[in-house]
Order: sequence, then C-alpha cells, then structure tokens
Amino acid sequence: MEIIVDSRLDTTVNRPAYFRGSGHLVLGFLPPGSFITYDLLRKHVRAVLSTKAARDDCFWSTLLIPITIGILGSTVGVVPLHCACLEQNGRGLLIAGDSGVGKSTLTAALAQRGFALISDDWTYFSREQSTVVAHGLFSPIKLLPDAVQFFRELRELTPAMSLNGELAYEVDPARFAGSTVKNISRPSQIFFLERTSSRGCHFVPCTSASIREFFEKNAERLPDELIDAKNFRSTVIRTLSTLPSWVLRTGESPQRTSEAIDHFILETKYATA
Amino acid sequence: MRPLEFSHYSDPLDLLRRFIQTPMKATYRINGARVGVETNDRALLPEFPLDADLTGPCALEWKLIRDADSPGLLEPPMFLTSGTLTVVAMGTACLIGLDHEACKFFGFIGTDIDALTFQKYLLPFLCRMTKDVLSGDPLGCFVSWSHDSAHV
Repeated sequence: MEIIVDSRLDTTVNRPAYFRGSGHLVLGFLPPGSFITYDLLRKHVRAVLSTKAARDDCFWSTLLIPITIGILGSTVGVVPLHCACLEQNGRGLLIAGDSGVGKSTLTAALAQRGFALISDDWTYFSREQSTVVAHGLFSPIKLLPDAVQFFRELRELTPAMSLNGELAYEVDPARFAGSTVKNISRPSQIFFLERTSSRGCHFVPCTSASIREFFEKNAERLPDELIDAKNFRSTVIRTLSTLPSWVLRTGESPQRTSEAIDHFILETKYATA
Repeated sequence: MRPLEFSHYSDPLDLLRRFIQTPMKATYRINGARVGVETNDRALLPEFPLDADLTGPCALEWKLIRDADSPGLLEPPMFLTSGTLTVVAMGTACLIGLDHEACKFFGFIGTDIDALTFQKYLLPFLCRMTKDVLSGDPLGCFVSWSHDSAHV
C-alpha cells in the first residue's frame, strides 16, 4: 500500500466517497479530497491523500481502512460477508438475512441485552486452520429512520446520509447500547432472520446447503479474473455452513426477538450439555 | 425518458458497477488505429464514421458506462498513475481508468453530462488519450490538458 500526501489536494472540491471498478481494477474518491486506486490481482493500493485527510484519525479508521479491507477482501484472505456478529459468553453468533429484514435493529437490541458487538453490517472472515474467525472494524451500528419506534433514545439524534446514500442513524454501540465492542470472535451459530406477520418467534433448523446458498447468493459479485478470491470465499462459506444454524421467523419487536434468542441459546446450551 | 439500462441500475452485489451491461458496440478508426467502443448509452457512441474494416483486432477498447449515480458536471481533470492503471477524474461526473495491460479505457459518465458535452469535450479528450497511449506516451495529454491540477 503506497500512500502519498499532497497538499495541492486540499483545495479540490470535496466529493462524497465514490468507487467504481472494471475487472480487477478499482478507483475512487474519498473525502476530503483524496483519490485511491486498487489493483486486486497484484494486491497493490495507491492513495493520494489531502493533508486534511492524512491528519484525520477518523478518516483512517472509518473510511480508508474499512473500505480498503472491504475492496481487497477475499484477495488478501479476508472475506466480507453481509451479516452481523455478536458474542455472548465467548460464543460468537451471526445474524444474517435479506436486506431490510431488521438485522441492524435486532443487533442493536442484542447489544442492549449485553451481547458484545463485533460488527453490524459487514463481518470479515479469515481462516484459522479448519475454523473461521470473524473480525469487526469498530464500525457504528447503522439504523434506518424507522428504528426510532423501537429505540426512543434515537429521538435525540439526527439521521444523516451514510456511505451508500441511505439516510440513517449511525450510532456508537458503546454509547448507544452500553455494549462491549470487540474486534474478533469465533462464530459458533448462525441465525437467519425472517419477518412474519404472525406473532411469536420460531426457530427452524436449516441445512448446510441452504447456508451456503444464502451466503454465495448474497456475496459481492467478483469478476472471473479473481478466481482465487472467489474460491477462497467459497471455502470460508463452506466452513461457516457446518455451524449449527436456524431460520428465526419473528413477528415481534427487536427487543422481544433478542429476548427469544437469549432464551433459545440458553436452552440449546443446556440441551447440548 | 432515459433508457432503463442505466437509469435504474440497482444491483446491491455490484457496488463497483463492474457488471453493467454495455450492449451497444461499434468500431471506429481513431488517429489511424482501430478502436472498439462499447456502451450502455447510444449518446456515448462517437459521432464518427464507423470503421469499414470489420476484421482484425482493435488496438484499444473503450468501455463507456452511463452512470446514473455519478452526479455533477465536468471539473478540471486530475490524474493518478499507479502501475498499470492511470486514472483521470473530472469530478464524480466523469471517472476514466486506463488499463495499460488490457489496452482498455473504462469510463463512468454521469447523466448530467449531455450528448453535446460528451461529443464536444470528452470525446476529443479520449481521442487524444488514445493517440498518446498508442504512441507510447500515455501521460502527454494530461500535462497539456490541466497544468493547474494536482499531478501526482
């Protein structure tokens, strides 16, 4: 990774973060006033930063590093998958599900119940021998404006435009939920969240094949020239698919659903013991 | 009304817009070289005579994508060269990459850049880049185009 700081960029027009790619090449802007290019085949990153960006800790921790890890991803042995990761008593759990199903509100509710938070939106997986390790990047929890109906404390905040253009509350999990924030965990179970109109929470075991299908279907599309990265990602997904997993069908609030998960984990723990 | 293929691209699994289809294809002769152009918007096809010779490989490929999520107007160009990639940024409205290995330009052009602006300003720029690339001097055009911008 090669980084150049150029004061001439301090006077350029400020633009929102913006990335585009073609095959293994990716290029984009990062505010304030910075450019970045990625060659995913050669694993080479070159950035030219404004002095303002280079001196801003927040720029490094919330933009440059997370975005770079996300873009390089599987090419450097870290697979980004769209799911949340939390931990209770040293056991990691993943919350997955389709977009808009309520993963982030459930994650926030679990954090408020005392689960440690590793990641909200994207979790980064690496392999360690035959297991998978989940990594988080200390990112905020992103809650859409309608989450205010479940979390009264959001009323004191103002939603803002997030990186993907969505209007959202971005809350610090430690402050918002009083949650412990960790950057690493070993996932031991997965819950696939589904909303239903009927009341209650129902846990239905799911198969390895359906877990693989879900994560493969919801992973970023990669060009054929990144075949090694694709294969590595599939290996990680295969390993994840061996974990005990359930579809969680809920018609309840995030708080009631988090309570149900808490009880379910306790029951399965005793049942296993 | 804008064609659907670029005004409603919403693939959450293709955030980098790598898989936008570019079904419109044509071949031109630019500065004596055969150049293949593919795009998702007819307005981005050069208003040049088509190359009559339909055989043989192209010396250079242009992939021009009309990108509904690239707002704004053209700004003075700035460039960054990194290994086999040269980037020319004219604000978010126009981001051009030159893949030296593949001999390919790929450009993302916002919907605020109308056909006239493209034909009158961007196209001559692309032609000049093409000429410089094929003559082995891929940066020559940038220096003369924007001596005030940050050259890194």
